[in-house]
Amino acid sequence: MSKRVAIIAANGSLFDAYKVFNIATAAAASEAEVGIFFTFEGLNLIHKEAHKQLPLPPGKEAMKDMLAQANIPSIPELLQMAKDLGVRLTACQMSMDLMNVKEEDLIDGIEVAGAAAFLDFAYDADVTLTF
Amino acid sequence: MQADKVLNVTGLSCPLPVVRSKKAIDEMVSGQVLEIHATDKGAVKDIPAWAKSAGHVLLKQTEEEGVYKFWVQKG
Repeated sequence: MSKRVAIIAANGSLFDAYKVFNIATAAAASEAEVGIFFTFEGLNLIHKEAHKQLPLPPGKEAMKDMLAQANIPSIPELLQMAKDLGVRLTACQMSMDLMNVKEEDLIDGIEVAGAAAFLDFAYDADVTLTF
Repeated sequence: MQADKVLNVTGLSCPLPVVRSKKAIDEMVSGQVLEIHATDKGAVKDIPAWAKSAGHVLLKQTEEEGVYKFWVQKG
């Protein structure tokens, strides 16, 4: 039986995005069923525009050039990979209301739901991660 | 070792070697062997772990001049 991985993405820097999408795509490539719940600043990771230009964490701005030279996929590429691998992407309704983010501001293929709906998925998870 | 397909992921870093390996093996049939070439040091542990969790069998792995090679039989 396949494993289930439940991830909560609650932060919105470039580093947060790599942590979330690297684990999510690796898990999905290993045949796990993966769901990510994007809440508060984590919504940046699936925002149509913001996900293409996520900020570095404060004090780490000097790493911008290093990242550009490193042979790693971009966040838009990782996001597309996650979608192709069937990762479930859920945006937190309450965070969207609070931060005035509309469903049309988010990339396509996002489900909007509340905490209870994500928990229903997470109760049966083998691994639960929060970033 | 005879392989049915060869996948070159040299130069690519985590998580691409496992993501590309999954995509390649999805197009194969059970019992066929995928040969993977990688340079990511993480792949030494990642490809065997990926094969195990995805239900495939790692038949062999080698390292030669910084290139890691794996032979994975589809489960």
